Amino acid sequence: MKKYNFTLLIKSLPFGMLFLFLAACQRDNEDLSPVTYPTNPEVFIEGFSPGLNYAAFGGSVPTAFDVDTEVTYNATSQTSMRFEVPDAGDPRGAYAGGAYFTDVPRDLSGYDALTFWAKASQPANIDVVGFGNDLGASKYQATISGLPVTTNWQKFIIPIPDPSKLTAERGMFLYSEGPENGRGYTFWVDELKFEKLGTIAHPQHAILNGEEQTETSFVGVTKTIGGLSSTYNLPSGINQSVNIAPAYFEFASSDPSIATVNESGLVTVAGGPGSAKITATVGGVTAKGSLTLLSVGDFQAAPVPSRDAANVISIFSDAYTNVPVNYYNGYWAPFQTTQSADFTVNGDDILHYTNFNFVGIEFSSPVINASSMTHLHVDIYIPNALPAAAQFKIEVVDFGTGGTGSFTRAIPAAQSQQWISLDIPFTNFAGLSNRSNLAQIIFVDVSENISSFFADNVYLYNNGTPPAAPTTAAPTPTHPAGGVIAVFSDAYSTIAGTDLNPNWGQATVVTQTPIQGNNTLKYAGLNYQGIQLGSPQNVSAMNFLHLDFWTANSTSLNVYIISPGPVETPFTLTVPTAGWSSIDIPMSAFAPVNLGEVIQLKFDGNGDIFLDNIYFRN
Amino acid sequence: MPAIFILALTFFGCETDDFQKLDDRKWQLTWSDDFNGNAGQVPDASKWTYDIGNGQGGWGNQELQSYTDSPDNVSMDGEGNLVITAIRNGNSFTSARIKTQGLFAQQYGRFEARLKTPYGPGLWPAFWMLGANIETVNWPQCGEIDIMELRGQEPHIIHGTIHGPGYSGGNPITKGYALTDARFDTEFHVFAIEWSKEKIDFFVDDFLYQRIERGDAPGEWVYDQPFFMILNVAVGGNYVGFPTDGTPFPQKMTIDYVRVYESAN
Repeated sequence: MKKYNFTLLIKSLPFGMLFLFLAACQRDNEDLSPVTYPTNPEVFIEGFSPGLNYAAFGGSVPTAFDVDTEVTYNATSQTSMRFEVPDAGDPRGAYAGGAYFTDVPRDLSGYDALTFWAKASQPANIDVVGFGNDLGASKYQATISGLPVTTNWQKFIIPIPDPSKLTAERGMFLYSEGPENGRGYTFWVDELKFEKLGTIAHPQHAILNGEEQTETSFVGVTKTIGGLSSTYNLPSGINQSVNIAPAYFEFASSDPSIATVNESGLVTVAGGPGSAKITATVGGVTAKGSLTLLSVGDFQAAPVPSRDAANVISIFSDAYTNVPVNYYNGYWAPFQTTQSADFTVNGDDILHYTNFNFVGIEFSSPVINASSMTHLHVDIYIPNALPAAAQFKIEVVDFGTGGTGSFTRAIPAAQSQQWISLDIPFTNFAGLSNRSNLAQIIFVDVSENISSFFADNVYLYNNGTPPAAPTTAAPTPTHPAGGVIAVFSDAYSTIAGTDLNPNWGQATVVTQTPIQGNNTLKYAGLNYQGIQLGSPQNVSAMNFLHLDFWTANSTSLNVYIISPGPVETPFTLTVPTAGWSSIDIPMSAFAPVNLGEVIQLKFDGNGDIFLDNIYFRN
Repeated sequence: MPAIFILALTFFGCETDDFQKLDDRKWQLTWSDDFNGNAGQVPDASKWTYDIGNGQGGWGNQELQSYTDSPDNVSMDGEGNLVITAIRNGNSFTSARIKTQGLFAQQYGRFEARLKTPYGPGLWPAFWMLGANIETVNWPQCGEIDIMELRGQEPHIIHGTIHGPGYSGGNPITKGYALTDARFDTEFHVFAIEWSKEKIDFFVDDFLYQRIERGDAPGEWVYDQPFFMILNVAVGGNYVGFPTDGTPFPQKMTIDYVRVYESAN
């Protein structure tokens, strides 16, 4: 048998070459009759079939495969294929994997399955087995995932999706398997061959996961048809799904003047207005699922962002480098209906949310510290005419202490079918107390009438306006409590009975506000402001007065300590600050105040001041 | 006024063994249903009645399905076929079992159906007959002739079987017929018996694969009285085992026609 096939090979090759030579003397090659290739079905019966080669996949253990003369599928079989799957962490490679391919293609169109017997040293699921990997384009690869092998020999069947395609196939077999629960093991394959079984039935194919999808689109939009699957009923009556390459599908467009589709399933919208339906078949069997493109004609791009990249943190934009994003659609079960149909038009990537109710974008690895950003920008486009005004809500979620902020924008019906640029100050997100651990942006269809929308240029930016309040807490003090007499701080016990807002006739508005959960003293519109200590304090053993202060708009700020008399001495603080300023003022700076009996503190100056961690220390 | 069909003898090719060289026989149609109804229409009530429910815990075989007369489980497809559909609802199953009991029964003759079977582990379709005296003598004294049974995990093999007193349940007279490179669930096939006082012949597509003669029965020969016909799709049970997670549902038995003839010799 082997000899016969080998002879066939020798005979057919020179004939083809001779024909080529003759044809070259004539006008063209179009009259060439198709080369016929050997139809040898055997891959590994008693060793390699003629012309078969093996190559290990990159990163795999190169010696994982060997020919075994001890363990064979039955008594008449002399050899089998043995595969040694490595332990996790094996320095030789992380898995066992490779491809068996021939030098000269074979014509496998007369068969309907690759079959083999297999067993293993322990029950296991082999990650991938199949055929069609020729170490090149591997155009007709077909594989099974998670093949369940046991310690007994069993026959396995991998259906060929459309045998008529395999008239010149080099990829005879491939496998890839990693450790099971971290441990390696051995499996064997024998009697590996293509067969015409005739008992593989009920092929079911799907594109787009079997869904009938409709999308509004534009000239220049390209989109790859995904969600390809294929299932066959095996002779045992059980369905087997096969991962098959796009080339097995014959894609078709109902109107190529509106949209074309190539053999890889890449759809390009070519014209409009109009509609085109993309469908597919495999071996003449219609695949479930379709894509109807409603082309409205030329695409209108979103306004190109012009902000300096230095002031931008980009989530989704071709104008900037985007930060790592976990996903642009979390498919949050069970209530989310929103699907994604993202597309690229003229090189511009667009998010497209269909069947919209709500959808979240997550960027939590790592989270974004947006403290220095002032606005969220997003461009949205509602492609279908709105039946009435819509309410479009945006939520931003902080995974730290900031909570969730929400902002709802009314969209008049007349603003559908055009880009709407939203620039939303973070201060407008009700409920967001800070944004140093931003992790999600959520879009919600409050009015339940936005069936789909496009989004582009989702980014955070700083518009150059200084922030009016600190976005981070003051540094947490580290001085030992035993050497501290505290006036105002979450970190220490403070002097009992202290009045932070005694009425001295001042205009200053005093409040306490939490920043990242840390209580902070705020002086709005400072002219002067006192602090009445709960009892006179002897701070003569202390070396410093410590203060944390923050102001974006003050041009003058002094701090005083006061002893009876009153005796008071100012110390001038440098303002405005860049973030929090921490200072330890030597007590000597306040001479001649009586440090044995300090009764009050005082600030004067102007602007809005934030204060924290006011304490004496040694 | 029923049409009269004359079924001429079919000789098989020269390579066929002597077993296929049957005596010349002529048949006259006595009963038929071609199922030429509109889609969703239920079987003709003058020809078919139903078994309903779970048969006291599985019709004697620990079957899982509950039989209904719902069009979801049994109705015409509008293309000239009757479809019996087994449906999975979580861990329970519905299906249908129709019969001619009380409406039609015949002693001897040719009984045939052209149908396409369901498939998948745990599916158990059948075209079969019971003695019409089952109400008085019980089973297996009434006799049972299984013209076609199939295990869904072997969609290329059908079985023809008789059950009688002393040779019933797990110990009947039976024989399988397998297709070598095709299946019974992908194309229509004709399943038939030809039954006379002396013997019962079992056919697939007019190929005689089993002959049971009067003297072959290890017990009493109880096939000299009228039998009625049954068509059903069972799920699970002693004969076939349970459906697996990999068994596709719903499953359909698609029946083009059922015809009964008597000898016109």
